[in-house]
Amino acid sequence: MAAETETETIEREATGEQKGEQERNRGPLERWVGDSISDPGRAYKPMFWLVTIFFLFTTLFPFYWLLMVALTPEGQLQDVWLTPNGFNPGVFIEVFEILPFHRYMFNSFVIATVATVIVLLVASLAGYVFGRLSFPGKGPLMLLVLLVSFFPPAAFFIPLNDLFNTQISILEPVLSDGSIYNTPYALIIPLSAIFMPLAIFILTTFYSQIPDGLEDAARVEGTTRLGALFRVIIPLSAPGVATAGVLTFIGVYNEFFFSFLMTDGQPQSWAPILDGILGYQGQYQTLYNAMAAASIIGVLPMAILVVVAQEKIVSGLTAGGLKE
Amino acid sequence: MANVTLEGITKRYEDVTAVDDMNMEIGDGEFVTFVGPSGCGKSTTMETIAGLTKPTEGTVHIGERDVTRLPPKDRNIAMVFQNIALFPHMDVYDNISFGLRLRKYDKDEVDRRVEEAADIVQLEGMMERMPEEMSGGQRQRVAIARALVREPDVFLMDEPLANLDAKLRVHMRTELQRLHRRLDTTIVYVTHDQAEAMTMSDRIAVINAGQLMQIAPPLECYNEPANLFVAGFIGSPSMNFVEADVRSGELETENFTIEFDPATTDGLAPGDRVTIGVRPEDVYLERTADGVEHPSGLIDARTDVLEPMGNEVFVYLVTGDDADTSMDVEGGAATDDQLLMSVDPDTEIDIDEDVSVVLDRSRVHLFDPDTGTALRHGLISAASATGTPERGVGDTD
Amino acid sequence: MATERDRGRLAPVVDWMENLSEAAYAYLLLIPSFGLLALVAFYPLISTFWMSLLEDQTRGAEPLGGFVGLENYINILTGDARLARQFVDIGFTGSFPFVELGVGFFQQALFVTLAFAILNVLFTTLIGFGQALVLDKDFRGRRWVRVAVIIPWAVPIVIQGMIFYLIFQPTVGFGADLMSWLGLFGSDPLASSQDSFFIILIADVWKTSAFMALLILAGLQSVDRSLYDVAKVSGASTWQRFKFITFPLVLPALLVAMLFRTMDAMRVYGLIESTAGCTTVPSLTCMVVEAMFGGTRIFGTAAAVAFMTAAIIGVFISVYIVKFRDQEGGVY
Repeated sequence: MAAETETETIEREATGEQKGEQERNRGPLERWVGDSISDPGRAYKPMFWLVTIFFLFTTLFPFYWLLMVALTPEGQLQDVWLTPNGFNPGVFIEVFEILPFHRYMFNSFVIATVATVIVLLVASLAGYVFGRLSFPGKGPLMLLVLLVSFFPPAAFFIPLNDLFNTQISILEPVLSDGSIYNTPYALIIPLSAIFMPLAIFILTTFYSQIPDGLEDAARVEGTTRLGALFRVIIPLSAPGVATAGVLTFIGVYNEFFFSFLMTDGQPQSWAPILDGILGYQGQYQTLYNAMAAASIIGVLPMAILVVVAQEKIVSGLTAGGLKE
Repeated sequence: MANVTLEGITKRYEDVTAVDDMNMEIGDGEFVTFVGPSGCGKSTTMETIAGLTKPTEGTVHIGERDVTRLPPKDRNIAMVFQNIALFPHMDVYDNISFGLRLRKYDKDEVDRRVEEAADIVQLEGMMERMPEEMSGGQRQRVAIARALVREPDVFLMDEPLANLDAKLRVHMRTELQRLHRRLDTTIVYVTHDQAEAMTMSDRIAVINAGQLMQIAPPLECYNEPANLFVAGFIGSPSMNFVEADVRSGELETENFTIEFDPATTDGLAPGDRVTIGVRPEDVYLERTADGVEHPSGLIDARTDVLEPMGNEVFVYLVTGDDADTSMDVEGGAATDDQLLMSVDPDTEIDIDEDVSVVLDRSRVHLFDPDTGTALRHGLISAASATGTPERGVGDTD
Repeated sequence: MATERDRGRLAPVVDWMENLSEAAYAYLLLIPSFGLLALVAFYPLISTFWMSLLEDQTRGAEPLGGFVGLENYINILTGDARLARQFVDIGFTGSFPFVELGVGFFQQALFVTLAFAILNVLFTTLIGFGQALVLDKDFRGRRWVRVAVIIPWAVPIVIQGMIFYLIFQPTVGFGADLMSWLGLFGSDPLASSQDSFFIILIADVWKTSAFMALLILAGLQSVDRSLYDVAKVSGASTWQRFKFITFPLVLPALLVAMLFRTMDAMRVYGLIESTAGCTTVPSLTCMVVEAMFGGTRIFGTAAAVAFMTAAIIGVFISVYIVKFRDQEGGVY
């Protein structure tokens, strides 16, 4: 079957060459078309750029348009299209005056950073276990981790919300009223758990690829089993750890459900960026331009992260490549 | 510096027993090689010494210490691995000094020891190279240096040369021997390559199916194998084995008979069935057998295949008619009708030539065909022996 | 001896850990992750599941009534639940096509969610594959094209919602005018269930194609390039190279990506909440949230909807798991 198609192709190419020779004395466009038919590789290049430009346009245009909305002064927001109706760069300062947007961003950063650290630590241990050890119940336990991802976040919410609003006396010295609600932990704890399964899967793949010999060598040289994980396996899986870290950070920063519901929305209650952006929706009017400006400011850190880390993310997801 | 004692080491996984009641005593400064086919349990045994595997039963002593429950890091051992196992994210210096830095040695001490080890394995000036920038041989030297700096009680080497090309392997073999002479440390070495085992070791431990078959100096394993397995495993090409019946004063095989000195009948009674073992170099053409002091009677054979090796020629002989000439994949004679003989390269011999051969009776081994245990080495009485004196049957342990 | 040098107070603990069997050590290291999951996932899930077996209690001090078994589930499936909109609302008729919809297709949570998930995965896979093929090529400026393609994926959901809300907002945006001029949407698309469904679909495809592209790109880059040379030498066309080499080798990565996308799409909520709103486009998660926070105190029913959502996702996932089994080399 495969052999048949191969010979067919060769024949087709052979006739194509002859055709190309016949068409040599025609006009340039006709020749190009003829050549493209006989050699699809030629047509491929312009097509490639066309597709690339299409993708660039579709992904970037919404950002461009958002900038146009932000630059349009309040009150002139009608049918913004390719240019702003007016020019009001001051909006990027106004957003911080209307609301303490920087505080919301700070909150989001702290929450995302702490959650990422927790996820990497905890998922590293789990990834090591799933990737390198064999023990009874491994398959079912991995499935249990995956199972968590089936549930809509709402399925966790009510019991968690009750739990976080309970005043726990031992927490009183640490937290003002002994409850977790309106503290960063109210987001850090559930979001760590929710983004952990993905990190576990990525790290499992990476850690399983480190040759056994390296771990053995580390242990013989003087580390404990746990020491070998931190001194050899994790450093060698740096691309995977970076990938898991970036994915977790972006995931937590971008999350909606818990961010929306687990705080009262006040910046001093560790409300994240989401509440900041929705905060421009006033009772009587909505400041669309400020919302747009705040959105652009909110996206910037992620954009920078993507610029810096994109190579890492791609190579990190390309699980493999590590050989002795 | 310490000796290593294994007592009743057994390692069972769910359904397989990888190591079965292994007992051995490795002396201080001794170079002992574990050799056996792959999957025989030699690496598992080494891992129990290293502490990378915990034995199901039995104890491991290093020196006076019972280390059975100690983690590898506390056993004061160093190990060189088959896949070399250099840390790819560290340069040569960091790799070599890894264990010392973990133990928080002074910087000066670390530098001094690394320098010394690098000097021994000739790695000077490469301290900043990364493993990926080095050749296989250089990496192996780094791995050895990493083991050296620790000044361990015991060196464990798990097929350290297996991943090197043939030429380098031979070279490293001599270097390792030189190293052992210089350091005089206990070395336990695992290999499946019997040439490595024979050339380097003070004693070799032949392991099969999780059991210790024989532990003895290389030549003793070669000349007085304790059982059929050792006889067949050590030596390349392998020993010839032929089944025979014991008659009074002679052994009768399907195609020929060999007389033996009836003075020594210990362990043999007429009517017993035995397996005769004879190495290819102990089979002689009749016309060149003048120097053989205890020749057997003539055996008629036909040459089947010649394998000129340069320094010798292996001749596959067929005895008897309608012989089964199927070959063994490992090389060597596969059936009772075949006999492998090694002759001088300048011997004139042709394919399909009818020849008469003799065996050197002093070098013929007899085994129990059922248990495989060696019964006799040499079919001459101890009194008349002039070559290797009869030392009795090796202990199968 | 050096080995004794740094054995501090932790030594007994360390020794104990070192001497654990492989299985015991594995379980020990799983304690943190499963502890966290137990607190945030298992305990709430069990608690929610228990709630789903209790009667709704719309009056009184206690939020939940007595044990009713699977009644909540049955009510949801038969359309008798006290929900603002039914989970699924169909009747059976005697004539073709034997089913009739109680309310419009796009107002039924089950259908909306299934249609959203299927179309979403279909489009993100196609577009993501296209993007990945572009990003896999070596060309000047690839780094920046890559960044541009990935960025939508890094946008917070609330901002993603914001952008598409504004585009299709009739006064501010151009999208509503454009689409109604094209005759595709009505004049206020964000008020129409059908139009909003497609807005949300577009918004999500815009954001999540990049995720697909990333995972597929990772798959593409792990393909051994020399295979293409072999194929070229044996005369395979570009399409044949794709069909016989690229696609089969990328398939495992593709399936993983599709698995994650499916789970995500089935749980869509934030995007809807920040654009058209749950009243206009009721997804399954929307229903759970509305039932829980809608002020009608139907917690039992809400919990049951949450579990049914999970069950439906589970059914989809098992399809993938069967696929993985067929596909050797699938890690998970």
